[in-house]
Amino acid sequence: MSDITVIGMLAENWGSIIGIILGGLCIAVGVHFVPVGGAPAAMAQATGIGTGTVQLAAGSGLTGLLAAGYMYMTLAGVSEASISDVVLISATGAVGAMIMITVTMLVGNWVYIYGVGVPPASAKKDYDPITGDSQAPYVAPGTVGQGIPTVCFVSGAIGGLLGGLGGSLVYCMLMWVNGDPAISSIFAIGVFLVNAVLPSYNIQGTIEGFHDPKFKRVPKAILACFIASLLCGIVAVMIPGIPALGGA
Amino acid sequence: MSEVSAETANQIDAKGIVIGLVGIYIAGMSGIPYLAFLAGIGAIFATKMGANAVRSVCSYGIGTGVPSIGMLALGMGIISAMFGLAFGWMVDIPFLGPIVGLALALAIGFIVGTLANKVIKLNIPVMERCLTEIAGAGVLVLTGLSVMVAGSLEFPDIARDVVSTGYIAPIFILGALGILHPFNASLGPDETQDRTMVHAYSCGAIAMLIAGICSIAINPIAGAISAVVGLVIWYVTFRGFVKLAKRDAGAGWVGTGLLPPGAM
Repeated sequence: MSDITVIGMLAENWGSIIGIILGGLCIAVGVHFVPVGGAPAAMAQATGIGTGTVQLAAGSGLTGLLAAGYMYMTLAGVSEASISDVVLISATGAVGAMIMITVTMLVGNWVYIYGVGVPPASAKKDYDPITGDSQAPYVAPGTVGQGIPTVCFVSGAIGGLLGGLGGSLVYCMLMWVNGDPAISSIFAIGVFLVNAVLPSYNIQGTIEGFHDPKFKRVPKAILACFIASLLCGIVAVMIPGIPALGGA
Repeated sequence: MSEVSAETANQIDAKGIVIGLVGIYIAGMSGIPYLAFLAGIGAIFATKMGANAVRSVCSYGIGTGVPSIGMLALGMGIISAMFGLAFGWMVDIPFLGPIVGLALALAIGFIVGTLANKVIKLNIPVMERCLTEIAGAGVLVLTGLSVMVAGSLEFPDIARDVVSTGYIAPIFILGALGILHPFNASLGPDETQDRTMVHAYSCGAIAMLIAGICSIAINPIAGAISAVVGLVIWYVTFRGFVKLAKRDAGAGWVGTGLLPPGAM
């Protein structure tokens, strides 16, 4: 019954492994764009969204995955997705993740501005790199900024785009291999979490966005996530889906 | 609880791996479906192994919050666990499945730990060892609970009964919670190992209870047995946890000193 060999699966699916690595790198870079504030931000004492990287990455990634899964079902159904389908599916996933992350930032900002009563301000730059607005006078003494100013918002949207793109790409690549939505999505979540947690160690839990000095550490995360995604990809493409199990 | 308060990491790892694997094998290979709950008990000990590793690594302060490391564990664990079971099925020796999954998870965990220390430069001395343990615990928890739900070690059964039905989602998140929550809830200057470990047992028992309820749809009697055993273990260990929490709460305050000048 088991005519599927390890070497054969590797030789046949090398394209999917490359796709999984690309997806993993998109996720890793995306994490650096999202303004993660952690616990200090939850108390309006730091710029960014008031929760951890993993929660944000998982939230936007899963929303993106849902959007991508729906698009996959609509476009490809049970047949194998073509390259143009994969592009559309990844774009849908990216938009889904962007919607989730921007809504989180928008509503978070409402809470910071009207609830806590603080003006959004970045402590890392004196002037907002996008709008040119002065930031330093609005940072409350003893804090490192509050809320989500324009530059962080734009950065977060880019992060959502990259995260959703990467997650849906990994999902599509796994669907190519095993054709089983359940196994593909749970593995996509696994690859997603590994590639979201490693970069979050790189930024040590908090970052404001692409204008933050910590953003310069991206190359280290890319190297680490390349190796981690390669491992995950090699292992993940060797797992058969239900169609390969002879309709079991 | 009559637990020895200073249990070393080696003892906890040995118990987690041995009881975890034995439980999985008895549940999956004995041919008696009612013994499926033993895989759940193995998963509880594996949860404790993961929780103890989280406890050692997170006391260094990883900067991202404790939950991230539990999620990393299950992210590595799910891929290794399913690969292991699929490998056992591909070579027609289901017995190999959990061991291959565990070995792969230990290898991935060690590599990811090395990456975190050497490439990302976290410089936490126990990082490699703890991520290896955490990945191993993740794979044993996932394999244990999956085998308990499906009542079989065969990959097609697990793919059909656990993954396609979606029960993998609660198993995934509850397994992660069992590993990350005990230290996350107990951390602080007055954290004690026995209290955190009893909490790990009770979190593992909750995962076993929920997985047992999921299993009722597949193997009604075996699932009910697993759920009841999980509930009993939860009740006993949670009472123990409350007792230890009262003991530690009555111990007075712990002086932590002033903040270092750089942190002000």
